[in-house]
Amino acid sequence: MSERKIKLQIKDMTKKYDNGDGVEHINLDIYEGEIVTFLGPSGCGKTTILRTIGGFLDVTSGDITVDGQSIISLPPEKRPTAMVFQSYNLWPHMTIYENLAFGLKLRKIPKAEIDADVKKYLQLVSMPGCEKKYPGQLSGGQQQRIAIARSLMLKPSLLLLDEPFSALDAKIRQQMREELKKIQQDLGITVIFVTHDQEEAMSLSHRIVVMNKGKFEQTGTPAEIYDKPATLHVASFIGEMNFLKKDGKTIAVRPEDLTVSQGHGGGQFDATVRTIMLLGHYVVMTAQHGEDVIKCYINRDLSERLKEGDPVSLAVGKHTVF
Amino acid sequence: MSKSLKRNLVAYGLVLPAFLVVMLTVAYPIVLAVIQSFQDSKTGAFTLDNYAYFFTEPAQLKNILYTLYVCLMTVAIAIVVAYLLALYLRFVRSRIAKTIGTLYLVPRFVPAMCAVYAMITIIRDSGLINRIGLIFGHDVKLGLMYHASGMIMMNLWFNIPFAALMITAGLGAIPDSIIEGARDVGAGKFKVFTSMILPLSIKDVVVAATFVFMSNVGSFTTPYLMGGSAPKMLGIALFDQFNKYLAYNRSAALSVIMFLICSVSAGVYIYTNLKENEWEK
Ligand SMILES: Nc1ncnc2c1ncn2[C@@H]1O[C@H](COP(=O)(O)OP(=O)(O)OP(=O)(O)O)[C@@H](O)[C@H]1O
Ligand SMILES: [Mg+2]
Repeated sequence: MSERKIKLQIKDMTKKYDNGDGVEHINLDIYEGEIVTFLGPSGCGKTTILRTIGGFLDVTSGDITVDGQSIISLPPEKRPTAMVFQSYNLWPHMTIYENLAFGLKLRKIPKAEIDADVKKYLQLVSMPGCEKKYPGQLSGGQQQRIAIARSLMLKPSLLLLDEPFSALDAKIRQQMREELKKIQQDLGITVIFVTHDQEEAMSLSHRIVVMNKGKFEQTGTPAEIYDKPATLHVASFIGEMNFLKKDGKTIAVRPEDLTVSQGHGGGQFDATVRTIMLLGHYVVMTAQHGEDVIKCYINRDLSERLKEGDPVSLAVGKHTVF
Repeated sequence: MSKSLKRNLVAYGLVLPAFLVVMLTVAYPIVLAVIQSFQDSKTGAFTLDNYAYFFTEPAQLKNILYTLYVCLMTVAIAIVVAYLLALYLRFVRSRIAKTIGTLYLVPRFVPAMCAVYAMITIIRDSGLINRIGLIFGHDVKLGLMYHASGMIMMNLWFNIPFAALMITAGLGAIPDSIIEGARDVGAGKFKVFTSMILPLSIKDVVVAATFVFMSNVGSFTTPYLMGGSAPKMLGIALFDQFNKYLAYNRSAALSVIMFLICSVSAGVYIYTNLKENEWEK
């Protein structure tokens, strides 16, 4: 993995809307064959960055290159990207077949090949046989799957996905994630994926970019982001996290990194049991420490010996200090 | 009384006044005119002569063809110009576009007579353009007065803003996202137009065209002030039959002919409006 080729490079890119919202000083290298996820709360600028890459927004300053060539002056139709839009953007006056075939026809692909491809990709998104329907006759989730198929069929070297699974139920979502990973590996394409679902980001990506208010907070592998959050925002946004105050500093520690023992004095923090909740094979306990409520995971055995109001002590394992 | 019967009675009661007004003011005169058009002016016996007159008399036949020519030219030019204008207003974001977007309807607010007279003072052979020409030593004679082209020009003044208004509304209903989707998969501007914008707006274009056509078949003010003595627009021909020659049966026949010409266009309009697009079902 040493000499990897850079596919997409964003260099000090700023995009400001007229009202002052937007993103600024964005720097990012994405390698060929990588799945990179933009993760962040609503309104943090994920779509904005994706649209500047796709060519639907002009950048205010900075540059974007694909394979070393600047693309910021190219119109969308000349860019080597394909996008799955947050709002699907299917063409209402065309059948599903025509929607899927449109881009391929522009590429002068023979009809027999297009027909076979349409069939194959409809199968892939679990929607076989709906060639003759119109987008208006499909549910939101079904339209979303057609939009995904439409982009995948173009086999773009850079695929941009803006919350492509947001309208799908848990089961299909899982299935589509696996399909996406598989297609990505088969075709060796580079994927930028936008989501605000951290679990999705964790399971799908080679690297995650955590965003907040128009800026990049941290870029790293899922493990790096989870284990060594760079900022308080990242720490609170990804996974469960307790924030404990000690000597003017904040200690961020995950529930699974706290060891609970009965009685005071056994760890760094003394606390009182607040609630105990059985969640199948493990138990979630919350404990009161001064003003803070701390969440920990304990085993069944210990939970049976504890009741609300009991004193406990907490030993901190892996943690981050801010 | 059953519930559905009651509901039906209420429904009929609600449409009855409108129905009566339409019957009395529109249907009754039309029926009367149609009957009259088949009657001999002296004996009142059934005859087709009133119609035959307009299709056999060379001068009258010319009037019909002339009217069709002026109307179709007006429709063609007005729709093309209005479509281009509407495309510009929809897709260009600039101060100029915004200003034009606010001002293009102004001609509709000028009373027809004033507009026609204003146009005449500019284009007639001794008008403004001619005088400006004289300053530079050219005697410009446009020859637009009493000629089809002058009338068509005047019709455009009225009809372009109207057609643009209708088409702009149609184009406004096409979201940017549709166009972005098309460009994303590689469609250039021309392809976006032919594959997305045109099919999604053609209905409004056809409807605008039928309206422009219908409003010009029976037009009177412009041809009266700007038209020549022969051939004449049908509106003037009808005026002559009725007011000058007092030929009421022929007037009725000509009215029916004009009505039939309009109804072709009305048919197109109703067909386009009723025909639900496959994707809208
Ligand atoms: N066309 C626009 N004009 C002005 N401001 C905009 C425009 N589009 C987005 N914004 C603003 O830019 C910021 C970022 O928007 P963006 O759509 O990129 O967010 P996002 O991260 O994709 O959010 P979500 O998860 O809700 O889709 C927001 O504050 C939004 O209000
Ligand atoms: Mg978004």
